[in-house]
Amino acid sequence: MSPAEAETSFFSRHQFLISRLFSLSGLIPVGAFLVVHLVTNASVLAGPGTFQSRVDLIHSLGPLLVPIEWAFIFLPMLFHASVGFAIIAGGLPNVSSYPYVGNVRYTLQRATGMIAFAFIIWHVIQLHWMGAPLGGGKFDPHHASSSAALALQPVGVAILYAIGILSAVFHLANGLWTMGITWGLWTSPAAMQRANWISIIVGVLLGGAGLGALAGMRRVDVEQARAIEDRMDEMKRMLEGREPGDAPLVRPVATSAEGN
Amino acid sequence: MIQLAEDSNVGGPGAADQGNGHSDTMAGRTIHVRVLRQDGPGGESYWERHAVPYEPNMNVISVLQRIAERARAEDGRQVAPVAWDCSCLEEVCGSCTMLVNGRTRMACSALVDRLLEEHPGEIELRPMSKFPVVRDLKVDRGRLFRALERVEAWVPVDGSYDHGPGPRISPEEQEDAYPLSTCMSCGCCLEACPQYTKIEVVQREGESAEEFERRRTAAYDRGFVGAHAISQAVLFNGHPTGRMIADERLQALTSAGGIQVCGNAQNCVAVCPKHIPLTRSIARAGRAATVWAIKRLFDR
Repeated sequence: MSPAEAETSFFSRHQFLISRLFSLSGLIPVGAFLVVHLVTNASVLAGPGTFQSRVDLIHSLGPLLVPIEWAFIFLPMLFHASVGFAIIAGGLPNVSSYPYVGNVRYTLQRATGMIAFAFIIWHVIQLHWMGAPLGGGKFDPHHASSSAALALQPVGVAILYAIGILSAVFHLANGLWTMGITWGLWTSPAAMQRANWISIIVGVLLGGAGLGALAGMRRVDVEQARAIEDRMDEMKRMLEGREPGDAPLVRPVATSAEGN
Repeated sequence: MIQLAEDSNVGGPGAADQGNGHSDTMAGRTIHVRVLRQDGPGGESYWERHAVPYEPNMNVISVLQRIAERARAEDGRQVAPVAWDCSCLEEVCGSCTMLVNGRTRMACSALVDRLLEEHPGEIELRPMSKFPVVRDLKVDRGRLFRALERVEAWVPVDGSYDHGPGPRISPEEQEDAYPLSTCMSCGCCLEACPQYTKIEVVQREGESAEEFERRRTAAYDRGFVGAHAISQAVLFNGHPTGRMIADERLQALTSAGGIQVCGNAQNCVAVCPKHIPLTRSIARAGRAATVWAIKRLFDR
């Protein structure tokens, strides 16, 4: 290692590896999670029972849920966000001098990244049980649709959710396209154009799923949904009661219920 | 459409009858030029207005020549002539890059008639913003050339004996490589790149020229290499003899300030005066870097 190299920081010596891991983490697991998350939530369009059964499936992971959440969602997201902020700090957007489509997308990618990050922090505090001490944690996995519907009822909240969802979706769809260039999947202008269509289709479908989930949650009849959820909960308890000694199908997430 | 002020004081030679119809309407008119000047490296920059009599078929270089002739600002004050760089005057040498009406381009191919159509009455000239200003519109593009050294943008054929004839290059490969070889190191791609930020190293009190040079090179080497250097690395990694040091180029492209700094804004390809497929080069270099990094991970 030359003296000049020794002077440089760990981050600058491993800049290439960090950038590639940053790029990869945007798709796997963060992007993949976004797809699963929005599609799962869009299942509320098929009724509160369908959504509740999807939530039950996720919560059937029991005590594994927390480590999985941190390993595959929160930590990769924090890594992607912190490297992302460093990248944003290193650039100098110039869209007013060079208003080309690619440059607008470059600027939007950074803007939506920051919006999505701020939104996700708020979203986690508002709905995830970890947000309970801060007055959030409103999502109750035993009453998935009804608790989400109540939390999303205010118009202001719904508008912020629409902005947050669309920012995250744009960031993923556009990031998919730039990722293909970064890794060298599509190299010619024609291939980039074809890939662009794919990213547009992914973005539109995912944006539809996200906004569909939001609208679906807000359309839920809270009383009716609660009745369905209580019945499903009762059935689960009965199933558990029949086989004593087995791990419960649904880990009682006491904190989330108490948080309200 | 074109609104120019009548000004008999500056209606000098050349503004007279030039034959074609367009110039008849323009004869005796004045072009107003706003120049962002700077008297020396690291100094304060300031705007100065100049008035130049219109002549048909002018380019920005001929406007600058008229400004130098007059050596007076629009208000009549005697001023030092505006300094600028130029050489070939036919958009192949790459030395006259500047910001014309806020956009990076070659001053020689920036035709005044077109500029006045876009922006009637006034032309704005600024030095490139990503390189240290030497004086007025002259900048020090040393970092651009240092980047070519970083990626070893040449075919290594040094030696005292005859290497024999080089390998044959197929017409397909030639066609692929030719556009990349037209790069004239003008720096437009770097000026328009949002990821390429200015590095200006100032010589310290008592610092020797060698020490300063070393410190400046080290600072340049931490910065982004830029689209031009990535494209040249792709050009020479595609050349059968140049390929012999392909790994060294990929090592340079994946070190600090390498290809990973690219943010895919694609301004480089949009502003390139030679229409070089720079984003194709960047994607190809990205692919080569992916393969190389994986190989290095498993082969060492």
